[in-house]
Amino acid sequence: MSGLAQPPGRFRAVAGATLSDAHVQGALEQATDRLRGGRLEQWAALTGIEELRTRAHEARMRVIDDLDAHVARFREAAEARGARTFVAATAADANAYVVDVCRRRGAQLAAKSKSMLSEEIGLNGALEAAGVRTVETDLGEYILQLAGEHPVHIIVPSIEKTAADVAELLTRAGGEPVPPELEALARAARAQLRETFLHADVGITGANFGVSETGSICLVTNEGNGRFVSSLPPVHVVLIGMERLVADLADLALLLRLLARSATGQALSTYTTLLTGPCRPGELDGPEELHIVIVDNGRSRLVGGRYREMLACIRCGACLNVCPVYRKAGGRAYSDVYSGPMGAVLVPLLAGIGNAPALPHASSLCGACTEACPVKIPLHELLLELRRDLVEQKVAPARERAAFALWSLAWSSPLGYRLSTALARRALPLAARTGPGRAWGAGRALPRLRRRYRDGR
Amino acid sequence: MSAPVPAVQLFATCLGDLLFAEAVADTESLLREAGFDVVFPRGQVCCGQPAFNSGHRAAARRVARTFVSAFSRELPIVTPSGSCAAMVARQLPALVGCEPYEVWELSVFLQAHDVEPPRCNEGRRVAYHDSCHMSRELGIVDAPRRLLERSGASLVPLPRPDLCCGFGGTFLLRQPEIALAMADDKLAGASGLDALVTSDPGCLLNLGARAERAGAGIRVVHLATALARGVG
Repeated sequence: MSGLAQPPGRFRAVAGATLSDAHVQGALEQATDRLRGGRLEQWAALTGIEELRTRAHEARMRVIDDLDAHVARFREAAEARGARTFVAATAADANAYVVDVCRRRGAQLAAKSKSMLSEEIGLNGALEAAGVRTVETDLGEYILQLAGEHPVHIIVPSIEKTAADVAELLTRAGGEPVPPELEALARAARAQLRETFLHADVGITGANFGVSETGSICLVTNEGNGRFVSSLPPVHVVLIGMERLVADLADLALLLRLLARSATGQALSTYTTLLTGPCRPGELDGPEELHIVIVDNGRSRLVGGRYREMLACIRCGACLNVCPVYRKAGGRAYSDVYSGPMGAVLVPLLAGIGNAPALPHASSLCGACTEACPVKIPLHELLLELRRDLVEQKVAPARERAAFALWSLAWSSPLGYRLSTALARRALPLAARTGPGRAWGAGRALPRLRRRYRDGR
Repeated sequence: MSAPVPAVQLFATCLGDLLFAEAVADTESLLREAGFDVVFPRGQVCCGQPAFNSGHRAAARRVARTFVSAFSRELPIVTPSGSCAAMVARQLPALVGCEPYEVWELSVFLQAHDVEPPRCNEGRRVAYHDSCHMSRELGIVDAPRRLLERSGASLVPLPRPDLCCGFGGTFLLRQPEIALAMADDKLAGASGLDALVTSDPGCLLNLGARAERAGAGIRVVHLATALARGVG
């Protein structure tokens, strides 16, 4: 479960470090404000956004609630067009399949376009271990690869990096000095990446959607690297989460109306690519082989359960951009892969709640995420369900469970309430020096338990 | 013979009862001024929200039952807390398995009954902070603002009214550093004003305690107090 599992204290520790870095705080604020503003502008320009969101939710749930049939239909359609498909039950299965494809082709260099799923399954590590050099070609991902870091935002993976940071990384990678100016940075990155596009033996991409009806893969990108990666190398491997299917082209069009608007504030991204099968005889472009790896890795467990709506997520990042906690904590605190509210829900579901016990609590339950979700996932309600699981599966610490049990016994009658609060009044100075009291007292005045309202009447 | 005086039940909430008795008293006086008889059910304790939001359903249920024993369905319930109103309206019936209650957050109750607050905030510049549960779960955004305006205050919008103040019940205790940074942003947005007004004892507790410790120089005032006696 690479990069997903984490100890209980990680969130607070990493968030604390991010919080004290003024530069990162500024970058987070600026980027999330810009993306949020863009989405709101686009949403306002659409007529009937609420109806669209409802229809998008329904389109996603139609697939989720009949997922086996859609996977079967998608595979059949894709294979009929010459693609090879593989359903990977686990991350290891998915990695093994991709490594095997590379081995059979004697591949030494793989070019990748952005895929959060590949981060989830740890594909780069598996390929490197098999001797396949892997180069990220999405600019943000390329920068992170040079820095040896993980994405901190699912849409803008390197939002915390400045132009100066990037210039230094590109200078080191290319061996020639690159000034920290946007145009120079883009030119340098393009020159460095062009070599990869031309020489890669295998191209690896994610998928924004798969279309069950046609077996097509839809890629939504802004830099054009996705098209290079999917058309120049002789082999194209697609990684797609098994839940990312839509029934037909009409549903695809509906979701595309919402995806870029919600993600980057664009009506449509620069490139929207629909790939159906490999290069056929007489065609000029496209790979000789197209492999579609449909990854389960814990997703099918969620079908039919209390968390099934999380499978509707289209990875637009709108929830990150409105979240007051993400805005302060940054992405690294959540996991090496998914972050923000969608990450706080998804990571415990995929990694197991015991492996990410802090994440359901990494939220003030303000509901901004739910309000921003274009496919109407009740994110904050799912966090509340996860908290309930933490308690009922006894993952929550015993002292927390004991404290709430004791409190509820005391407050189960007016008399108990009266006695316990009278006691609290006396014990307050003492309580201020223990765990929760200390957390409160660091930076806040102690509340004064004065005369109660009921006693004054 | 005069018509019988309409009556309401006042739900003080635990935070209101224990920490903000003045705000609850101001709620009562606003309701009485508006011509309502106010009943205070003596058996009331808490709606169970602290436990509910932390995932402790059994504990929440145990405490929420006190609400069921204390309140009747004969009279509407009014409370000076957006989040407790949301808890009672949206969660409590399913949690304890009972019929829904007619519960009103104070500002929307006053607005629904065309209550005219006294002009006690003439010349005051104030900002209003939305409680997340009140604005997002109950959809109450306008009522408190209109009431403040009718009390004479001029309303200054906060830079990002959508952002939470960082209370979030036990969130504040689990992530104290982030919660503090959130509170500081909220207070900074209101700097230079006469008061930051809110309708939720949770937000009031968090923002007030932070403002006091940080010497932020801004008064954080409950809406009931702002409407009954002015922001000062």
